[in-house]
Amino acid sequence: MIALKFPEINEILVWKELFPSFNKISLIAVLAVLISSALFFMAGRKSDVNEAPKGSRNLAEVIVDFIEDGVIMQTMGKEGLRWTPFLLTLFLFIYLCNVPGIIPLFQMPATARMAVPMFLALLIWVVFNATGIKHQGVGGYFKSVLFPPGVPKALYILVTPIELISTMLVRPFSLAVRLFANMLAGHILLVTFALLSEALFQANDKILIPVGILPFIMLVFLTSFEVLVAFLQAYIFAMLAAVYIGGAAHPEH
Amino acid sequence: MLTAIVTQTGDQVQVRLVSSETTDTTMPEAVLMSASAEAGSTPKTDAEVKTPPNPVNPAINEMLWAAGSFFVLFALMRYFLFPRLKKGTEARYASIRSNSEGAVQVKADAKTDVAEYEKALDAARAEAAGRVDAARQTVDNQRTAQLAQVNARIAAARAEADQKNAAARAAAQGDVAAAVATVATRVAELALGKAPDASVVNAAVASTMEGSRS
Repeated sequence: MIALKFPEINEILVWKELFPSFNKISLIAVLAVLISSALFFMAGRKSDVNEAPKGSRNLAEVIVDFIEDGVIMQTMGKEGLRWTPFLLTLFLFIYLCNVPGIIPLFQMPATARMAVPMFLALLIWVVFNATGIKHQGVGGYFKSVLFPPGVPKALYILVTPIELISTMLVRPFSLAVRLFANMLAGHILLVTFALLSEALFQANDKILIPVGILPFIMLVFLTSFEVLVAFLQAYIFAMLAAVYIGGAAHPEH
Repeated sequence: MLTAIVTQTGDQVQVRLVSSETTDTTMPEAVLMSASAEAGSTPKTDAEVKTPPNPVNPAINEMLWAAGSFFVLFALMRYFLFPRLKKGTEARYASIRSNSEGAVQVKADAKTDVAEYEKALDAARAEAAGRVDAARQTVDNQRTAQLAQVNARIAAARAEADQKNAAARAAAQGDVAAAVATVATRVAELALGKAPDASVVNAAVASTMEGSRS
């Protein structure tokens, strides 16, 4: 007989406050800022222009190239390059909030709590709407959103409410939920297999102890899979943000 | 002794009866601990049972910390970190472009030098070929002249030898004719008892030798 105590979902996601209003999620968010700043600060130090970049500069330039070539040029074109600092910040912040899910002692992605994804989704919502209004004016922007060109006028009865809900509600909701749900699901899977492995290894049974290797292998596999998920979710969020901003700035594209 | 443990999860209320001597290891530790702790105290009301907040509900403090962190990072990135990195990158690209242009110039210069070298090499080759042709012509002329001289010398030597040969043959023929005439005269003298006329014998010998040569 084994004793397997699986904590309630809100027990594994609620953290003690390190000081009033500051818990592990806040700590991860602050660390994300510190790590990103330290990386780019070290990368920005003067170096010999005749030497190939290495170390922190190399890493920072790879990230910037990835954002510029892999996200902005694919979605917004050359005009979108002025958004590099924003999308770079977004990608780094999300990635560094995701990665602690597999880092010992932390073992909790900040994005597995709704606060961080919701804030980021609301921010993107504000940014792409503001960008659309700035480029097209209030009337022009809402006209392009609610009355897409090329649609027969009779269909506006159907299309306009759908576009309104899609652009104003579904976009931020799907952005937030996609990131939150993916990271929460990964976190729960890791907790499940870790608890199962521990319970089986500690069982006083000659059969159950070797069986414990199976959830442990799964745990190792899922941990490495979470490395990919952490990157992928940050990339998807940044990519969709770029698509929404680019679409608001240039609806004809 | 049995103890009633009341737990609330959302709207569900669970009641467990736990014996203080229980050995049921499937019982969650937290439940057992709370059971033993609560055994001597009064049961808590529903309001006193603390349920952790719903994880889907965003916590305001976390949102504020996330927002603050994000905006600080964005401000740093927008006004300090990214421009600094970009400046370094642009400087390196400019250096690479400059070096590349220098390399292109050096390559063009090298191509010019190679072209000049090949031109000079072609001229040298042409000059060498001309000199070789001239030398060959000179050698041919010299050889022709020397051959002519040698052939002339050979022809002269051959003519001289032919003359000597003809003279020697004529001398030998004379000696043979004289010897034959002497023998014929002696034979005739022995046969006839008197010596024949020498001119007749000589003419006969000459006639015979002429006939045998033809």
